[in-house]
Amino acid sequence: MPIFRWWSTARLRLRSLLLGRRVEEEMEEELRYHLENKIEEGLARGLSPEEARYAALRAMNGLEQQKERMRDARGIRWLTEFVADLRYAIRSLGRSPGLTGFVILTLAVAIGMCSATFSGIDSLVFRPYPVRDPGDIVTLVSTTQDNRFGQFSYGEYRDIRDGTRSYDGVIASSTLSLVGFSAEPGAMPRARGGMMVSGNYFRVLGVEPQVGRGFRDSEDQVPGRDAVVVLGHDFWGREFGADPSAVGRTVRLNGRDFTVVGVAPESFPGMQVFYRPDLYMPLAMARLFSADPKKDFFVDRDARELTIRARLRHDTPQQEAQAEITALAQGFEREYPRTNRDRGAEVNTQLQMRARADDPNWKFMVITNVLTLSVLLVACTNVAGILLSRARSRTREIALRLALGAGRLRLVRLLLTESLVLACLGGLGGIVVGDTVLDWLARFSLPSELPTVPPFQMDGRVMTIALLLSLVSAVVCGLTPALQATRTDLVAGLKTADVDEPGRKRLWGRNGLVVAQVSTSLMLLAAAFLMYRGFQQEMTEGMGYVKSRLLLARFDPRLVQYDVARTRRFYDQLVAGAREMPGVVNATLTENPPLILDTFAVLAFVPEGVPMPRDRENFTSLMDAIDPGFFETMGVPILRGRGFLPSDTEDTPRVAVVNEQLANHYWPGEEVLGKQIRLENATGERVEIVGVARTIKYRTPNERPADFVYLPRTQHPLPRMILMLKTSGDPLQIVAPLKEVVRGLDADMPVLSTRSYEDLYRYHVVEGPGAAIRLVGSLGAIGLLLTIAGLYGLIAYNVSRRTREIGIRMALGAQPRDVLRLVMRKGLVLVGMGTGIGLAMGFAVEKMMNSMLFNLGGVDLTVYAMVVPAMLLATMAAAYLPARRAARIAPTEALRCE
Amino acid sequence: MSKPTDLVQGTLDLLLLKILALEPMHGWAISLRIKSFSGDVLQVSEGSLYPALHKLEQEGWIKAEWKQTENNRRAKFYSITRMGRKQLDAEAANWNRLSAAISQIVKLSET
Repeated sequence: MPIFRWWSTARLRLRSLLLGRRVEEEMEEELRYHLENKIEEGLARGLSPEEARYAALRAMNGLEQQKERMRDARGIRWLTEFVADLRYAIRSLGRSPGLTGFVILTLAVAIGMCSATFSGIDSLVFRPYPVRDPGDIVTLVSTTQDNRFGQFSYGEYRDIRDGTRSYDGVIASSTLSLVGFSAEPGAMPRARGGMMVSGNYFRVLGVEPQVGRGFRDSEDQVPGRDAVVVLGHDFWGREFGADPSAVGRTVRLNGRDFTVVGVAPESFPGMQVFYRPDLYMPLAMARLFSADPKKDFFVDRDARELTIRARLRHDTPQQEAQAEITALAQGFEREYPRTNRDRGAEVNTQLQMRARADDPNWKFMVITNVLTLSVLLVACTNVAGILLSRARSRTREIALRLALGAGRLRLVRLLLTESLVLACLGGLGGIVVGDTVLDWLARFSLPSELPTVPPFQMDGRVMTIALLLSLVSAVVCGLTPALQATRTDLVAGLKTADVDEPGRKRLWGRNGLVVAQVSTSLMLLAAAFLMYRGFQQEMTEGMGYVKSRLLLARFDPRLVQYDVARTRRFYDQLVAGAREMPGVVNATLTENPPLILDTFAVLAFVPEGVPMPRDRENFTSLMDAIDPGFFETMGVPILRGRGFLPSDTEDTPRVAVVNEQLANHYWPGEEVLGKQIRLENATGERVEIVGVARTIKYRTPNERPADFVYLPRTQHPLPRMILMLKTSGDPLQIVAPLKEVVRGLDADMPVLSTRSYEDLYRYHVVEGPGAAIRLVGSLGAIGLLLTIAGLYGLIAYNVSRRTREIGIRMALGAQPRDVLRLVMRKGLVLVGMGTGIGLAMGFAVEKMMNSMLFNLGGVDLTVYAMVVPAMLLATMAAAYLPARRAARIAPTEALRCE
Repeated sequence: MSKPTDLVQGTLDLLLLKILALEPMHGWAISLRIKSFSGDVLQVSEGSLYPALHKLEQEGWIKAEWKQTENNRRAKFYSITRMGRKQLDAEAANWNRLSAAISQIVKLSET
């Protein structure tokens, strides 16, 4: 029955809504019929027509009230009123198209900026994993004093998987920055991004393959046995033209044949924000892919390469899982003290993982979001100011309505409906603006060797936010004007169309708006300028090395099944051959040149003579294994001692070069040369420090000085190296001859990627910050423009309202100068107050930015020395124009104007 | 003739449903019918008749259509729906229970 009931009542409501007039007429007719019968009855009783009519009306208890009660009974009163308000609002806004357009544009820009930046923070933090029941997925992290978000080793993964009961499945994965891929066995391998995953990966995540199947648990049990691969969806499209028969084919990965068993679905681009794996391989194939060749992936409990995620059982609270994993970690500490001392474990939700305090991306996003929200605030106050003026010029209309008995609430609703219409149109425009901004952002490819995907998109979530923001702005813009306008003094309001009654209180709203605008946009400008200065400083400071005329080429001889000795021989010949090439000034090999972020290796070591804190057994530092030519090629000066020499071989004593930062960190005021460090732990290999190099920037231009250890490649051979060539001309000219040299050494050896260092630098250092500066700078500019427009509008309005008063003043002998002063004084007081508050807000933002983004200390007064006068000038100009117009008013004209 | 009694709160719906269960009719007829059937004891105030009818329509218990009256005028005729009959049964049962209970108490002899 409820269905019928719903149907019949909904139909009735719809009818009264859509055919409002018709329903009213019918109601009228129904009552009239009754009334006429009643009158006839009266006449029959012998009353005069007059009396009969009167009696009938009296019996009906007042026709109008009756109708009202009937309308109430229909239960759609608010809706019909809303529709009526809507019609009215649209009509009255249409009467001033210029103003309406300006307001909508203002809101559209502000809301568009907000939704674009929200899209950023959404993709970095809030957007759920693209899997079944994403809320149940937690990430387990291995924690130490230095690293709250560490990974696990294979042994630990097995123990966690088998030793916990809180989960419906525990999965492990390891991101591989490079996999040598060829679609056919004979073809030259190319570098692709891959992911090693546990056999239960797709099943536990609830990801159904698009074609074929996911892995079987059995395919992840015997190391090296099952060479099977699942393709990423995009990769399948790019490399196989989305051909379903790709499943079953054989492809070659790192020199070994793999059988394609499935394709991941389009809905699953991977679990990371920026990185979409091309290939998924079982963990059991790790020997082919593992990052650290010195460690045995399956055996060494400190080969920590695995990200562990788990699906929390529905009935298990996170605390319970946490208690369980803590107990397990304590067990590890007892059982494996060598690798697990002072190591804990934590269960983190997606939000906890992503909103990490140490992530600069997300900090930047938070700051940008705060800034765009302030632009929205400025826009809203601006619109509020305009609406306020509008409402005041309609004083008479409002007073009339109030006098006729309209409730104040009813009028506030009417006025709010108007701002709702404006804000909703602004919100729709905002979606368009946001989409444009995102398109523009998406044009910046992200700094990476592999195709990565900017995750920003104008999706349903972002549009929802945009529309929510417009609802909020409707209230913010509309409430003050609506409340103020309906507080009109009836008598005064009815007498004149446009009057400001005495009393300071009502001016507060408008003055407050100006102050808020000035201060917010000052803060925005300061933030934009600070960001510019911050990045500028980093750029001019430089990275500490020479980056021009460098060519990078990546090699990984494991892809063609080289062993350690052959690898060494290949690299020796490669460097020798490269040095002979015309146009090459210098050549070196390095594993981790600055800015190649994804492969940075960490060295654990024990410095000689430095007391170890009670709770730890080693320190860590960034490291690189390099060829002797590195320091000359990169232009990094050796400050003391020496760099590496060809005479440092595997048969001579182990040596190391450290950077100045590390030397001062562990041996402040002492001579570092000759000091020894032990690798790994107190009983590890002994290495003597033979040189100190200048500290340079290793990862980002705004990093704090980091410890760094260089080891010679000859003593610490690594399979994956980057050849760096210093050239006398355009480095890219060398690419073809270099490939010839490589072909001469081994026709099958892939040159994985070639790139000029300038190019890499531009991606990392110039474009990202440049986009950030442009974004924040345009926010500041928009804020300032809005503020000037708002200020101008308010003061101009103020002047026009006081035309008569000014006329009288001038008729009584006031000079134009006096009028100018009178009008401007008020504007300046407001601007002054806004500037004061804005300065305070600017200091707060600066503090936040310095702690979050930049490595600068103290207050940068030059910023304010530039921003405050600019702001004052701009706002004074906004006040001056209307003031001058006021001063030019001819008294006669002014007095006539009412 | 004593003055017509105003209706007990909440019984108007019951009466309207009952009257309309007999045959469809328009508002004016309903008011006449109630008056005559109750021997002039009950009087529906004209002020509450139409809002009540609209409310019943909104609940889906009665429906309305425009028809010609016997003297060739257009009027809005109300008729009961299936849901309305159910509602009537329920309310009537309730009323019978209540009035029986009240009269039982009223009839108690004072000894």
